[in-house]
Amino acid sequence: MAQTPHGSFLRHRGYRYLKLGSLLCIICILAYWAHDPADGPNGGSWLGYTLGTIGALLIGWLAWLGVRKRRYGSTMGTVKGWLSAHVYLGLALITVATLHTGFQFGWNIHTAAYVLMLMVILSGVFGIGVYARMPTLITENMGTSDRETLIDEILDINQQALKLADPLGPEVHRIISRSTERMRLGGGLWAQLFGPLPPGRRAIDELRKIVADEESAASAKVFDPQSSTVMFMAGELSQAKKRGEIAEKSRQLMELIGRRNALIVRVNRDIQLHAQMQIWLYFHVPLTVALLAALAAHVISVFLYW
Amino acid sequence: MVQGSFKIAIVGSGPAGLSAAARAAELGISHVLLEAESWLSNTIYRYQKGKHVMAEPDVLPLRSPLTFTAGKREAILEAWNSGTAALGVNIAHRARVSAIGGQKGAFTITLDGGDTLQAEAVVLGIGLQGNLRKLGCPGEDLDWVQYQLDDPDEYKGETIVIVGAGDAAIENAIALADNNKVYILNRRDEFDRAKPGNLSGILKAIEDGKLTCLYNTKPVAAEDSPGGKRLRVATNDGETELAVDRIIARLGATPPRAFVESTGIQFPSKDPNSVPAVSAQYESNVPGLYIIGALAGFPLIKQAMNQGYEVVEFIEGRTVEPADTPLLRDKFAVLPDITDIEEALATMQRRVPILKPLTPLQMREFMIDSDIRAPADGEIIFQLNDYTDTFYSVVSGTVEIEVDPADPSKRFTLGKGEFFGEMSLISGRRRSATVRAGNQCVLIETPRRSMNKLINSVAAVKRVIDEVFLRRIIQGKIAPTLPPEEIADLVSSAEVRQYRPGELLFSEGDAGDALHLIRKGSVTVSREIGGKDVVLAYVPAGQYVGEMALVSDLPRSATARAAVATETIRLDGVAFKELMMRRTQVRDRVQEVYRSRVAQNAVAQARPMGDVLEFMMSQGLGEATDVLLIDESLCVRCDQCEKACSDTHGNVSRLKREAGPTFANLHVPTSCRHCEHPHCMKDCPPDAIKRAPNGEVHITDACIGCGNCERNCPYGVIQMGIQSKTKPSLWRWMLFGGDEPGRYHPAKKDKSAKKATKCDMCKDLDGGPACVRACPTGAAMRASPEQFVKLYRGGR
Ligand SMILES: Cc1cc2nc3c(=O)[nH]c(=O)nc-3n(C[C@H](O)[C@H](O)[C@H](O)COP(=O)(O)OP(=O)(O)OC[C@H]3O[C@@H](n4cnc5c(N)ncnc54)[C@H](O)[C@@H]3O)c2cc1C
Ligand code: HEM
Ligand code: HEM
Ligand code: SF4
Ligand code: SF4
Ligand code: SF4
Repeated sequence: MAQTPHGSFLRHRGYRYLKLGSLLCIICILAYWAHDPADGPNGGSWLGYTLGTIGALLIGWLAWLGVRKRRYGSTMGTVKGWLSAHVYLGLALITVATLHTGFQFGWNIHTAAYVLMLMVILSGVFGIGVYARMPTLITENMGTSDRETLIDEILDINQQALKLADPLGPEVHRIISRSTERMRLGGGLWAQLFGPLPPGRRAIDELRKIVADEESAASAKVFDPQSSTVMFMAGELSQAKKRGEIAEKSRQLMELIGRRNALIVRVNRDIQLHAQMQIWLYFHVPLTVALLAALAAHVISVFLYW
Repeated sequence: MVQGSFKIAIVGSGPAGLSAAARAAELGISHVLLEAESWLSNTIYRYQKGKHVMAEPDVLPLRSPLTFTAGKREAILEAWNSGTAALGVNIAHRARVSAIGGQKGAFTITLDGGDTLQAEAVVLGIGLQGNLRKLGCPGEDLDWVQYQLDDPDEYKGETIVIVGAGDAAIENAIALADNNKVYILNRRDEFDRAKPGNLSGILKAIEDGKLTCLYNTKPVAAEDSPGGKRLRVATNDGETELAVDRIIARLGATPPRAFVESTGIQFPSKDPNSVPAVSAQYESNVPGLYIIGALAGFPLIKQAMNQGYEVVEFIEGRTVEPADTPLLRDKFAVLPDITDIEEALATMQRRVPILKPLTPLQMREFMIDSDIRAPADGEIIFQLNDYTDTFYSVVSGTVEIEVDPADPSKRFTLGKGEFFGEMSLISGRRRSATVRAGNQCVLIETPRRSMNKLINSVAAVKRVIDEVFLRRIIQGKIAPTLPPEEIADLVSSAEVRQYRPGELLFSEGDAGDALHLIRKGSVTVSREIGGKDVVLAYVPAGQYVGEMALVSDLPRSATARAAVATETIRLDGVAFKELMMRRTQVRDRVQEVYRSRVAQNAVAQARPMGDVLEFMMSQGLGEATDVLLIDESLCVRCDQCEKACSDTHGNVSRLKREAGPTFANLHVPTSCRHCEHPHCMKDCPPDAIKRAPNGEVHITDACIGCGNCERNCPYGVIQMGIQSKTKPSLWRWMLFGGDEPGRYHPAKKDKSAKKATKCDMCKDLDGGPACVRACPTGAAMRASPEQFVKLYRGGR
């Protein structure tokens, strides 16, 4: 198939914001290189203040994405454009902020803010990585179906399996109902991220055993040379037929459970891929909040000590 | 049992018949109201329980002894029951009329069961719903045999047999199977009448054992036996018996047309949507036999009730000013000189030939639906490439049509009595030229539906419009600069051809004997490459295919196939070649198209689109004007698109991101395609579905929530929903949690007030589609078929 023409946010408007971000970095570096304050480069010089202000404005604007992306009626650009700018200017922020600090790090609130910023950016970079990889994996796993349909199908199969198991006696019924009860879709965060245990093979193994038992019993009786009277033969034959049927039904059950388990694996993989694609935002956003707090503290403390 | 002789017999107790009978009772006229069912007003009786019934059109006053205001179905039916009782209306229930004979002054009415009665005048108000088909075997009227299902959740733990193989039967069977043991009885060995979604649903349900299908099986008798309720059925292997609790037969309805025709009433055309023509007094072509309500072409309750009142007045020999006269007066407000409405209508009919064949009632209706416009000199009526679809008749003055977009000074003029706008009406495509008002211009602007209704009910109107369309499109597309006489031969060689989706216009290797001008629908052009049919191009309505073989004299170099239901104008090759020989400008024009197509095909072959185009055609691209597409390799499943739609559209999302088919990475979510000929518009009683100038098909507030459009849209993109104005606050949600914007579903208290909701392409929002603008990664996009093909060919 021809490549789809939808432009990714990374390529937005011919990499406009990549260019803008790079330009910003270059200007900052040049200024830093040209600037030579008496007490060495630091946040307190005029360039330091300028870079700090640019950095703080950038951070505020970057965090504003959380607001803009939910203002659905807004006509201020598109969210795609915003995200493109977010990524490239967010990366440029590393240069801006680092030059602002003049490489003066220590165990203080200032450096805490800086480190938080780096963590937000790092999680963002991770996000770009998964956004590039996961969507295709999800499509490949799901094929033309979707999760809801698969779950419906799984529940359906469970119903069918129970129905099929009903006439096969309490033993089979127990196996099936236990297997349906134990089935796990999704689960806690851990299970979502790393996948829950694959569905057990126990039900299938037990069914396999029943099939084998019933089949051997059935064939053994039919060809039993000891059988003497015709009446007895007829009785055994119907017995054997019944056993054959049980074996046949159990085999169908095995197939059903097998098919269901394959579906469970697919649904769980879908859940897992979604979780892996989205988990980073649960770092990115809280870290942003922490960053905003630390930054406020930094700025206030700087003015207090001034 | 009813017998005897009456002055007026009214058939059908819908709003129309009921109101007529009530008026007759009020005046003390001898009358009888014959109703097939045991209750009044079967159509409304059968609405969903608790449905909110709307009283459109608002501006129309009600004129009836009975009351009617918007409200719940139950309240309305109750008001009519007590109203008819208070007036002493003579109602005969279970009196289905099977024949009407005789003539004015002495009609004989025969009921099912053989009873007859006499009447001097007969009023037919039997609506369009038709009669539900019954089981057609003994026991069909038992109380556990039903023909309708309101709420599947009412039944639990029963054994239910569904009879039928259509959509209604399938939907009922699947819904009931959750809580009941369900059999579905199918006369034949497949479900070939069902929508694709229902078909796969029922096959899956059968395969999963959720329900049992008995194929090739017919009911023979339903009976109460000592052992319980039984249904005997005949299968290919003989008869068997089923123990059942309930039978639900969904066998559709017989349209009333055959019965109506048997009374001598004529229909104007074979079109199944056509209704009989009636006089301004609602009298049909059979004197003394009157038609009112839906059967006369008036699909709303209030109109039907007004006509009921009026028809009795007319039968009594009185004249009444129809209730809609104030509406008409409003229409004429633009022309202050006019005082006598009747006179003005007659003048218009005299001036505009196409309106001549209309009956006075049709003319009134036509004018009520239409608008009169008196644009200033030079004002633009519509622009080239607008998507509007109204039809204009010139009452006086002139209009100027700009034939050449490159040179606005090239125009031709239409004068009094002529019409324009028929191109978009027929092709469903954008306007093909800009039209400006000339001097002293007065126009009638008519909406698409009213025009289509007219075309279907007045053969002469259809003929004239088709002829003019043919002449204008041939002229416009082939010889815009030639005088009309030059192309007379070609025009007379033309014939309209119709194709089903997928049908061939011509195949690769055929002799090139004709050119097809696409009048409606679209066509794909493909060529066999490496043993596989490769689609090279998509040709929409308004363009032609088949010119290559005519220009080059070689056999057809490609196959043309209808992508959707398509109509073409077939122009004979010999006449066409003759014209090309005679007139070099025609030849040059066609050759130019030919050359650009050859170049295009070369590109197409070099950059094959594979099966993506075919997939999109199966998704309705061939009749779409704009489709929402998601590139799944970019989509991070954040549902921003859905949230954006919901937040900007009364908290009801018009798109379902996850639903819908996927091909490779291309996903077509469930969202409106804004079809060229929207199927959803077909059957909307208040004509609430409109097309905006940019092509957006949208639903106005006039919607009465009947759900017809939901059923008629083949792509399942309309939902009945309750819109709400309140929006949750973003900041409150961010700081304190609670309702998230875009994910807010206010408690659905009043289920009955549901209205149809669908994508309106955000026509009322600045900045365009909110779904696309909210997508963070660029996965979502909207495209027209032309843009789609271009983009997927790599931006060429
Ligand atoms: C789901 C739905 C919702 C709607 N909602 C609205 C709304 O909100 N507002 C609105 O204005 N309109 C609405 N409409 C349209 C409205 O119902 C119809 O326009 C109206 O009922 C037409 O009235 P009528 O009297 O012409 O015919 P009908 O109401 O169809 O009545 C015909 C009657 O004739 C009887 N009959 C038929 N054949 C015979 C026979 N041979 N002998 C004796 N009796 C016979 C039938 O049993 C029936 O009672 C809706 C329609 C539908 C389908
Ligand atoms: C309004 C914006 C800002 C102002 C006014 C500002 C101000 C200052 C000042 C005056 C100093 C020097 C303090 C000193 O030498 O003791 C400083 C240092 C520093 N700033 Fe900022 N700053 C701003 C934004 C930022 C931002 C956005 C970051 C990064 C997240 C940051 C991180 C630092 C760090 C790490 C130092 C070095 C601390 C040290 O010297 O130990 N500042 N800032
Ligand atoms: C200090 C810098 C940054 C801040 C404060 C910040 C903040 C935010 C915020 C508030 C959101 C909105 C999340 C939501 O509401 O769902 C967001 C989203 C996002 N950010 Fe950042 N970000 C920063 C840097 C980066 C960088 C450098 C990248 C990439 C390299 C990045 C990539 C993203 C992505 C991909 C999203 C998701 C958009 C979406 O799915 O809607 N961010 N960021
Ligand atoms: S609602 Fe359906 S039929 Fe109507 S325009 Fe949209 S896709 Fe076409
Ligand atoms: S828009 Fe749909 S639901 Fe509303 S009145 Fe028209 S057909 Fe009925
Ligand atoms: S275009 Fe607008 S109305 Fe249509 S689906 Fe997108 S957001 Fe909804």
